[in-house]
Amino acid sequence: MSTLTAVRGGAPVETPEPSEPTPRRRRWVPYALLLPGLVWLAVFFLAPMATLFSTSLQVGSIDEGYRPAFRIANYTEALSAFSEQFFRSFGYAAMATVLALLVSYPLAYAIAFKAGRWKNVLLVLVIAPFFTSFLVRTLAWTAILGDQGLLLGQLKDIGLVSPDFRLLARPFAVVLGLTYNFLPFMTLPLYASLERIDRRLLEAADDLYSSAFTTFRKVTFPLSLPGVVAGTLLTFIPAAGDYINQRLLGTPRQSMIGTVIDSQFLRVLDYPSAAALSFTLMVSIVVLVWFYVRRAGTEELV
Amino acid sequence: MTASHDARIPAALSRAGLSRRRFLRGVGYGGVALTGGSLLAACGTDPAKPRPEEQVAPDRSQQEKVVNFSNWPLYIDVAGKNEGKRPTLDAFTKQTGIEVNYTEDVNDNDEFFGKVRPQLQAGQPTGRDLFVVTDWMAARMIRLGFVQQLDKANMPNAGNLRAALESPPFDPDRSFTMPWQSGFAGLAYNAKVTGEVSSVEELLTRPDLKGKVTMLTEMRDTMGLTLLDMGKDPSDFTADDYAAAIDRVQKAVDSGQIRTFTGNEYAQDLAKGNIGACVAWSGDVIQLQFEDKNIKFVTPDAGVMLWSDNMMVPNKAAHKANAETLMNYYYDPAVAAELAAWVNYICPVDGAQEEMQEIDPELADNPLIFPDQATLDATHVFKDLSAEEERNYTQAFQRVIGA
Amino acid sequence: MNVAGVPGAGAALRLDGLTKRFGDFLAVDDLHLDIPEGSFFALLGPSGCGKTTTLRMVAGLEEPTSGRIILGDEDVTDRRPYKRPVNTVFQSYALFPHLDIQENVAFGLRRRGQKDIPRQVQETLDLVQLAGYERRRPSQLSGGQQQRVALARALINHPRVLLLDEPLGALDLKLRRQMQLELKRIQLEVGLTFVHVTHDQEEAMTMADTIAVMNAGRVEQLGDPASLYEFPATVFVANFLGQSNLVHARVTGRSGDTLLLDVAGQRLAMPADRSRATAESVLVGVRPEKIYLALAGTRGSGNARSATGDNELSGVVTDASFTGTSTQYLVRTPRGQELVVFAQNTSADRRSATPGDNVVLHWDPAHTFAFDGSGKAEAEEATAEESAAVPRVGVGG
Ligand SMILES: Nc1ncnc2c1ncn2[C@@H]1O[C@H](COP(=O)(O)OP(=O)(O)OP(=O)(O)O)[C@@H](O)[C@H]1O
Ligand SMILES: [Mg+2]
Repeated sequence: MSTLTAVRGGAPVETPEPSEPTPRRRRWVPYALLLPGLVWLAVFFLAPMATLFSTSLQVGSIDEGYRPAFRIANYTEALSAFSEQFFRSFGYAAMATVLALLVSYPLAYAIAFKAGRWKNVLLVLVIAPFFTSFLVRTLAWTAILGDQGLLLGQLKDIGLVSPDFRLLARPFAVVLGLTYNFLPFMTLPLYASLERIDRRLLEAADDLYSSAFTTFRKVTFPLSLPGVVAGTLLTFIPAAGDYINQRLLGTPRQSMIGTVIDSQFLRVLDYPSAAALSFTLMVSIVVLVWFYVRRAGTEELV
Repeated sequence: MTASHDARIPAALSRAGLSRRRFLRGVGYGGVALTGGSLLAACGTDPAKPRPEEQVAPDRSQQEKVVNFSNWPLYIDVAGKNEGKRPTLDAFTKQTGIEVNYTEDVNDNDEFFGKVRPQLQAGQPTGRDLFVVTDWMAARMIRLGFVQQLDKANMPNAGNLRAALESPPFDPDRSFTMPWQSGFAGLAYNAKVTGEVSSVEELLTRPDLKGKVTMLTEMRDTMGLTLLDMGKDPSDFTADDYAAAIDRVQKAVDSGQIRTFTGNEYAQDLAKGNIGACVAWSGDVIQLQFEDKNIKFVTPDAGVMLWSDNMMVPNKAAHKANAETLMNYYYDPAVAAELAAWVNYICPVDGAQEEMQEIDPELADNPLIFPDQATLDATHVFKDLSAEEERNYTQAFQRVIGA
Repeated sequence: MNVAGVPGAGAALRLDGLTKRFGDFLAVDDLHLDIPEGSFFALLGPSGCGKTTTLRMVAGLEEPTSGRIILGDEDVTDRRPYKRPVNTVFQSYALFPHLDIQENVAFGLRRRGQKDIPRQVQETLDLVQLAGYERRRPSQLSGGQQQRVALARALINHPRVLLLDEPLGALDLKLRRQMQLELKRIQLEVGLTFVHVTHDQEEAMTMADTIAVMNAGRVEQLGDPASLYEFPATVFVANFLGQSNLVHARVTGRSGDTLLLDVAGQRLAMPADRSRATAESVLVGVRPEKIYLALAGTRGSGNARSATGDNELSGVVTDASFTGTSTQYLVRTPRGQELVVFAQNTSADRRSATPGDNVVLHWDPAHTFAFDGSGKAEAEEATAEESAAVPRVGVGG
């Protein structure tokens, strides 16, 4: 610092005072640059979070108004009433995530390693469904899976399945819808991490007595784990909170926690219980993700 | 424009597969964003009903010749494929000089309530002068003091309201509301899939319909029909009656008889044959029939539910008089007939049937659009619920429909 | 071009007419090589001459267009890479970033289900002086350390042939020198056959028993470092390995074992067995450090050979640059040929030449070499430079 002053001023004698402001101002700069981000975080994340939490402990009704009461029972009641939907949501989301991974991995692998000049075309195709609305995409599945739809209509005509058989309105359809709708969230991170792998590492493995399969198991897959972790999170989290797929493709017996929250908010107008459910959902996802990332981080990535 | 033309256009459009009631309910992610907003505003709300002087805002109708009108999608006549061109509204502007800012932003009663509640509760203007919601939501808004009394002096045509709709329990004098359109909630079936279905009992128990039945997520329609089928009066029943009805539906859900509960999307399933029978709205069925005569609407012997969507003026509306002028305009029988020819619901205006004779005689004779007095007398409306009843009944119903 | 291999029964690796085409481009052209068991073999050549491609074909990572690869007495041409007893130290190291050093080194052993892995890894890490680094990730090592891990990872498998693709290319000069010695030490210690690819002639000469100089996909000359240097077979080798003065000359006669030459009127002599020329027009070469420089008059001048029997050429100094251990002179002959001379700075009182001085250059005829002057390689140079003499600085020196 002192050299800086000396050089700048060209003064042979150093005076400590003038050299002070520069470093002090400098120390502030990073924080000043952080400020917009912090404000954003405070306004759009912390404030809603705090309100959500406070709402979750209130009592009252739409007619009487709501007042803070620190009522923990809002949580216990909501959870005992809707635990089934909670577990089902996580179950379906987990199934959809695994399915999406199984479908996406070969797809991303093929695009990254085998597609050659078709790479960009294939990537566009992967995200092409996103150009239409979520709702329309999901409704399209009712046409495909319908009892007399594209798939079953044909199979029933040739007598391969019984006329009463159906795919819609079953857990299968809901999980399929979730899988389909969040597939690009899985494929794209996987592709990105596979694409990034240095091909020379694969040659090195080949050179070190690894068959193609062993190379995949010991090099390609471990190196793609960041993509797997990102993809599974990006799929699991929205899938666990989703309610469209259940509503359009399922029945009340497949209802998920997102459906419940929506209904508690908009239809029953029980804001505290809806807030309690939202908050619980959020916390459980954070906890699950935390454990998952830690596990993936300590065991798989090493 | 010739009369026969007018009738063809809505028919053609309906073949595209949409109508107000068939339009997908607000299940989109808009709902989620909205949910967040409601939550924020839900923090420590004021229970007090606004006092009358808090409800009104200075009426600027004279200075500003506009009216801001929020309605359901596909619930008004349009010229051909041009959604921006609405003949009856254009004629209104020509006649009165009042511009209509027509917005189709009511997709769902509950969702719309969530959207306007924060302002109305805080005594702030919603930016709307007129909107349309279903009976029970109108009842809630009146109960919460969200809407203003109408000045009948501005509405000489209000007298054309059909007698059967004149005094609903939630607004006996129609001092807050005017019906936009009405409709039946009854049963429908696809004759290609199943034989005639004539009662809720059959819907809930017939083995050949197992997994091929849907009911509506509108609690009043589904539960009203179920109560009727059990010999109860939906306008006067006890909590036990309701619980019994809920049990009955729950059983059908548990056994897999009921496939799911839907908003307007049941119509596609019915047309495709994914479901055989369902609880349905009359307007949808008329539109489905344009394409497929196998779709039938059934009025169960136990009775049908009658519902209306009502026009209301929210608190702090800046152009109340203009809104009243608009309501008055739509109670002109000729205008009402033009509208009914397009939307196919029950027209609430006396004299419109005669006007319809000129537009499309076939529609004029359709009892689902112009039901006779006897039919209307046999219909039922759902009881006006107290806040607590509403919450309990809704909660119970939501549990059954899996939410 | 068929280059005879070093004779001997124990060829660890033998390339037989190995050829690789990329589309129309001939990257490796009919390569024949015999690499003896236990030797340190260097493949030396300029960038893009096909060294890596050759190595990759041996490793199995590139499929030859034609030709055979024989390891010991097994033809491995059609074997998948992981089934070849050959390992590579890659130009980029290619260490596995997700594995620590221990596991990187153990990788090959594990794939072959070997026992006693920790001990072997320990020994190998000791050998490359990296004991104590087992738990680090490659990204936590310096370039030189990474290079040694790459070496250990390959060495530990005791391959029939270890292929090293410019393993020292990324290191700074000092570290490179140090690693050269270390590599050589390790090779002697483990006794494996090393095939070392480099474009650094000094590196090749320091380390290798045998060097194959490659150019444009072909081997130009094969031999031990000294004979390559002292008696280059082609213009390319003469210039790529160190520096050479090359002068166009005409064979005028022969007396016994001595060949008589004429260079633009000045007469030279050389031993007949140091000429590979077959025609009358030849290129005569002599290394700059072999030439002595004397001020005119201090020595008998003229066109005649001096009493000592040295070859002589007279000229004028056009440039002198002092480089510390030596002074580098540029001397122009009366006919416009330019020659480079390195004069050792051995005596303090010796008067050094300065530009403009008339000098006489002389050297032992036994240091002269000659090859055909009408070959393909020097045809380009003849058009590039009109002068008969072609002083050149070797590439990558
Ligand atoms: N896959 C390929 N496709 C086309 N041409 C290639 C391919 N690989 C190498 N070549 C060409 O073959 C020639 C030899 O390449 P190679 O990598 O063997 O050079 P090298 O001698 O190792 O050079 P360097 O010292 O720069 O590493 C080069 O001209 C290169 O452009
Ligand atoms: Mg190379």
